[in-house]
Amino acid sequence: MAGTIVEGRQVSENRTLTPDFCIIGSGAAGGVCALKLSEAGFDVVVLEEGPNIPKEKGPAPGQERKMLNEREVEMYKLLYQEGATRLSKNGGVKVLQGRCLGGGTAVNWSACLPPRLETLDEWQKRGLPFTRQNLEPYLREVVNYLPVVRNDKYNTSAQKFMLGCARHDIPHENLPNNTNKCRECGSCGVGCPYDRKMSGFVKWLPDAVALGATIYTDTKVDRLISSNDRISEVQAHFIDAKTRPTKRKLVVKPTKGVLLAAGAIGTPSILLRSDLNLDKRVGRYTHIHPVTITLGKYPENTFPAYGVPDNMWTPKFSTGPTGFLIETGSFYPVFSASATLQHGDELHRIMRDYYQTGAISYAHHTTGFDDKEKYGTVELDENGDPQLDYTIPKANLKPMQESLVMMTRIHLAAGATSVYIMRNPPLEVKPGDTFDEIRNINFLESQRASIFTVHVMGGCQMNKDDKRRCVNNDFTFKGKKNLWVVDASIFPTALGANPQVTIYSLALWASREICEQHQKPFKFNHQQGGELPWPGF
Amino acid sequence: MAGILSSALNASANPKQRNEVTVSKFDCLNKKTALILFAVAEAVLGEGFLLKAPKFIETVDDFLNYQRPAQREQFLLALLIAETTFGLTIGGTFKSFSHLSIAERRKILEKLRSSKQQLRRNIYAAFVNVSASTYYSSDLTWPELGYAGVSVDHPEILNQPPPIPWRTNDPRPIEP
Repeated sequence: MAGTIVEGRQVSENRTLTPDFCIIGSGAAGGVCALKLSEAGFDVVVLEEGPNIPKEKGPAPGQERKMLNEREVEMYKLLYQEGATRLSKNGGVKVLQGRCLGGGTAVNWSACLPPRLETLDEWQKRGLPFTRQNLEPYLREVVNYLPVVRNDKYNTSAQKFMLGCARHDIPHENLPNNTNKCRECGSCGVGCPYDRKMSGFVKWLPDAVALGATIYTDTKVDRLISSNDRISEVQAHFIDAKTRPTKRKLVVKPTKGVLLAAGAIGTPSILLRSDLNLDKRVGRYTHIHPVTITLGKYPENTFPAYGVPDNMWTPKFSTGPTGFLIETGSFYPVFSASATLQHGDELHRIMRDYYQTGAISYAHHTTGFDDKEKYGTVELDENGDPQLDYTIPKANLKPMQESLVMMTRIHLAAGATSVYIMRNPPLEVKPGDTFDEIRNINFLESQRASIFTVHVMGGCQMNKDDKRRCVNNDFTFKGKKNLWVVDASIFPTALGANPQVTIYSLALWASREICEQHQKPFKFNHQQGGELPWPGF
Repeated sequence: MAGILSSALNASANPKQRNEVTVSKFDCLNKKTALILFAVAEAVLGEGFLLKAPKFIETVDDFLNYQRPAQREQFLLALLIAETTFGLTIGGTFKSFSHLSIAERRKILEKLRSSKQQLRRNIYAAFVNVSASTYYSSDLTWPELGYAGVSVDHPEILNQPPPIPWRTNDPRPIEP
């Protein structure tokens, strides 16, 4: 019997549910587990803090999600944590995370890379069971189910990047996407209105609902209630369209267990609110990929908002504990304005100059490999809400400067007349300039430059070291037999790659563990095909 | 703590009245913080910014609903601190932030931007980010950027040939 999606904002009474499993979070990990556990015959309830994104025709031709209108401010409020204004505790890093049905899969740029091999090697040293070989069926399942495809239509940012790379003899590759007949509207980051991005609310979640799963949206989890070595209850409340409590409560008493899939800030915060801090290990060693951004200004109009945003990259600089991945993207007026760190006439001049003739490249920086470094910590503020205490690690300072230098070189080689660096104050580099000012940017101090992240990992890690371990190798939370942590918070380091595919794959693995523990079938359904779409993997 | 400080600063703040600020019902701002926000935005964006972003105050007020309550409180506190602390003494008389000219307010923004204190730099970033992003969310500002709008409103965008033709088979660039 098919399940349903219940919008918590519409619920007018307190409710109590008794499913087999309660999954907290509907993003990359929650969607996978909802489908696989439903497929195994379990009664599954998924709790999602953000709103439903119902399938409803909109006024535009082919628009499948009326609610997704591509308008930045409206979509940031609807789809992102804290309206896309989540900041690290010191204000220095903007943390962009999804908060809606499908979580991060609804707002990411569709980038599909496998886990970095040297990261997997490092994880094995830390006792994790994942290898290139044993992960392959999970990756293959993801690739074929979504599907993950090679999209060869390149927007202007990608074209300029390819040209600049070629002139510097820098290898560059297609970056596969989870899109299907993409319309190239460029709006992946504010939710695909056409259902052409294979996000959680297009694939995993409706398939899970078809098999009986129930999803509650607008449902914020307060805490887990423990009874000895088990979780007996999940306490939650419903919130309205403006994220305020409706005063109606939800209690879930799962008979078999709870899966935490609320992301690497959400999952530790729920554990902390539940007094499950494991001697203060929970929330520690949280990692991000700090992002540095360049905008090149070109002689011609570039239409930077349109086209496939993220399908070109170079792996050349991605190796090592502080390597970086340079990728290309799209950019939009509000996103650009929010990062400009300028005021007055110069603000408007930069917006005019770099918007209509701009091309973007950016770099995700790997972190988390130095055991002596503190990295980030998820804490609770005075209201019990999570905040990430994070300072850029010293080891990443030079790579962040050098990624800007390299991207600037690539832009200039591609014909840019200047390159804009989001420093405070803004820095423009022209042909013939030295890169000294870039190499003096102090990323270690807040607001000396605009720094983003869209990937948060760790905080509740799988590790053989008892001083760090929160999660066992079968994904159970230490000391709780019926609590599994299935999202990126188990990562002991940052991944060094866009994490969507890895999170899907590890959530499949976790689903298999849970099914086997309960003597239920787990099967792969999409193992067809030959080579995976990543030549280097 | 921030709540107590906000209450005290709110009581002592006396922002300049502006006829342009006509909003009377707020979710998160109040009349005083709305007037300070206007003064901040005018410094960041320039005189007459409401002509192209007529819903500026309402948009910010609504957006604040979605922020983490502690962060929202900090932003409102930053507005009150700006008004009560960041003024200038001119001719022996202290003029609070909103009573200063745009040029004088911009001098204060410059000092905040380059301050050695993290808190002051964060206040600068918050002021320019909120002002600039809200302003450029308005459709009326898009033509000067060359932004054609969103595809669900303008489906013809998707049918336009891209500035550089896609190459469907060979992803490698062709040297011009």
